[in-house]
Amino acid sequence: MTTSLLMTLQVNVMPPQNIGAVPLGTRRIVPISGGVFEGRLQGTVLPGGSADWLLLRADGVLELDLRVTLKTHDGALISMRSFGLRHGPPEIIAALGRGEPVDPATYYFRTTPRFQTADPAYAFLNRLVAVASGDRRPEGPVYTIHELL
Amino acid sequence: MNSRPLMLLRLTTAPTEEVGVTPHGRLSIFPVTGGSFEGERLRGKVLAGGGDWVTRRADGALELDLRVTLETDDGALIYMTFTGVRDDAHRYFRTVPRFETAAPGYAFLNRLIAVGIGDVRAEGPVHIIEEIL
Repeated sequence: MTTSLLMTLQVNVMPPQNIGAVPLGTRRIVPISGGVFEGRLQGTVLPGGSADWLLLRADGVLELDLRVTLKTHDGALISMRSFGLRHGPPEIIAALGRGEPVDPATYYFRTTPRFQTADPAYAFLNRLVAVASGDRRPEGPVYTIHELL
Repeated sequence: MNSRPLMLLRLTTAPTEEVGVTPHGRLSIFPVTGGSFEGERLRGKVLAGGGDWVTRRADGALELDLRVTLETDDGALIYMTFTGVRDDAHRYFRTVPRFETAAPGYAFLNRLIAVGIGDVRAEGPVHIIEEIL
């Protein structure tokens, strides 16, 4: 497998909506208020179409289902969707839950972004599969996104 | 990013069901009749009954949507899906597999993110699937 760095995406999160225990697990929705990205493309995250739908499963694994709208510095809109998983030792996950800074190498946070855009300059995004490593900082997650070559 | 090989997946298919042009694009359904998978940590066969729902987009790329059931050589059943893109004009064939199993010996599959590299061979497509570490 070879990859190429595409961008770093930093997302600002708002307090979660705790839906609670649903048949599939514990549902939590995290609205996104903004963010920035830089790399082969750069710009900001638009709120409104952006949130992360989380499901904590019975086996302790957190499923993440992220949708964000990105706006590039040159005005292109890009819709990004990303499914991922997060899990780790209980004390590490508990520290994350308390909003503490935690070394991302101590837990597993990996996602698989896909993109949709109508802007010809960014059409290459429509055709690629990406994989990202997440760092759940207290102010919000940072994703290092790589194109799968 | 680091990865570790997971399996090589081969699929056999029945004649394609050409649904035709729908509002999403041109839909072709590839019924899966069988196949095999092999890797250091798991190996076995692909059961009949799954399929790949392939949509040809307006830009010519194919959007893949596969569901199959795997049976390991020690009798465990694993539900596998993948989505992905196949764009022959750019020689790009990449998938994102996901797994669900109740078998304790294979529960690690429920907890990993994987990617697949598709390779079109004379005998049919082969998927080289790696675990993202």
